[in-house]
Amino acid sequence: MNSRSSTVYRHSVATRLTHWLFFLAFLALVSSGLQIFNAAPFLDASDKTDRHHRVLAIQAPRDGVGTTTLLGHTFTTTGWLGWTDDGMGGTAPRAFPGWITIPAYQDLADGRRWHLFFAWIMIVCGIAYMAWGFGRGNLRELVLARSDLPNLLPMQLYYLRLRKEPPAHGKYNPLQKLAYTVVLFVFAPLIVLSGLALSPGFDAWFPWLTQAFGGRQFARLWHFVLMLALIGFFVTHLLLVLTTGVFNHLRSMITGRYTLQGANRSVEGP
Amino acid sequence: MNRRIFLAASISTALSACSAIGTKLNENDGFHKVLRAAEDVNERLIGTRGRVRTYAPRDVSADFPVNSLDTPGSSQYMRLIGDRFASYVLPVDGLVEHSLRLSLAQLQHMMNVTQITRHDCVEGWSAIAQWQGVRLADVLALARPKHDARYVVFHTFDVDANGMPYYESLNLQQAAHPQTLLALRQNGKPITPDRGAPVRLTVPTQLGYKSAKWVRRIEVVASMKTLYGGSGGYWEDQGYEWYAGI
Repeated sequence: MNSRSSTVYRHSVATRLTHWLFFLAFLALVSSGLQIFNAAPFLDASDKTDRHHRVLAIQAPRDGVGTTTLLGHTFTTTGWLGWTDDGMGGTAPRAFPGWITIPAYQDLADGRRWHLFFAWIMIVCGIAYMAWGFGRGNLRELVLARSDLPNLLPMQLYYLRLRKEPPAHGKYNPLQKLAYTVVLFVFAPLIVLSGLALSPGFDAWFPWLTQAFGGRQFARLWHFVLMLALIGFFVTHLLLVLTTGVFNHLRSMITGRYTLQGANRSVEGP
Repeated sequence: MNRRIFLAASISTALSACSAIGTKLNENDGFHKVLRAAEDVNERLIGTRGRVRTYAPRDVSADFPVNSLDTPGSSQYMRLIGDRFASYVLPVDGLVEHSLRLSLAQLQHMMNVTQITRHDCVEGWSAIAQWQGVRLADVLALARPKHDARYVVFHTFDVDANGMPYYESLNLQQAAHPQTLLALRQNGKPITPDRGAPVRLTVPTQLGYKSAKWVRRIEVVASMKTLYGGSGGYWEDQGYEWYAGI
């Protein structure tokens, strides 16, 4: 450690605990969600199942061939989508491969058990995190404020290397705040609501919810697209962690302690 | 570029490790019991409330999938097809004050509901059909369940390749829901043998596997533990949720 480095206590116990629970639940939800998708590997922009409104279909038109049809364009995706690893050492007509689903083999019943259990872990964690964040004011450093708006473009220009210095900001830069705000207040609530919109019992209770998503099959499409958006956020988050001092970040998310070194840019969190 | 390949490789390795660990955990009885706790929470929170949306005739699916075991092939069912279900009798018995034996003509006479509802399969697809039939609540009101009655069990003519009969069950509240029907007609015509003739259940507040086809007998019970696998239904005995409202 040089003379310009110092250690700060960066993440509270609550943040660290919910962070890793979010991570676990996210992995479990994606893997079991793909297992569930495999039971009906198509997505329609309609209420009832309707081939005329099909957006995505992953199929095995014949033995040993997998195809993916997106908006009417068909691609051969053998081995990746359509005809894939069956999770038992062989290959089979399966939309998503066994190595990415829970359980690895085809098992809708257990996929649903996992999904509906970890959905609760996610929801309870989400509520705890929000309550904690609001209570202690921690969320303020993550949420986009009006004063951040003029700095969004300069920050983007900096990332595009069209500007030498990033605009002045706190722990998180304006684009990071935008990403966190959208994930916490748009994507997360919408993915829960679009999931609930698939439930016939919930539909009987609040019929306007399913209709707001354009119907049950459309809600399934929303649920899938929101998953892709969250995966996009997750990959970006990983990239930032990996490129800005992966061990320092990992340690701060485990022990809470983060080492500041030299220039104050490294104060940024992923 | 190297970093991108490294990242993609690490993510796919992590995911396959996640799938492998998940598969192992899935086979652990204790862990499975924990997962199953969610069903109770969902049943308590969502339960059976309100009414599902009803549709207009133009919304009816042109091709309602026939998604079940094969049409029953037993000699008993074959005889019924032979006489066009003239000798069909639906017993309603078990923990009831008045056991019933309802002929198809009696059920047709009681028929007073037409509803167009969406059938949501556990696999993920949905199809809309018009159903005409008798409210299950009306049949149960005639039979009058006893005080210790808790569940209504639907025995069917359906048997899988291993000889396991298809059956289903609802609790009394779900059975009394005004949209829970014993359907006799689908899209204006008598239900065909492949779609559950002569009487099938339709439970639009829950997933499709609850809507048993080919209903043979209705039995009111206090517990489902002694029936077949003990979980209250053919698919439930294979791990699916008994509460299929989600």
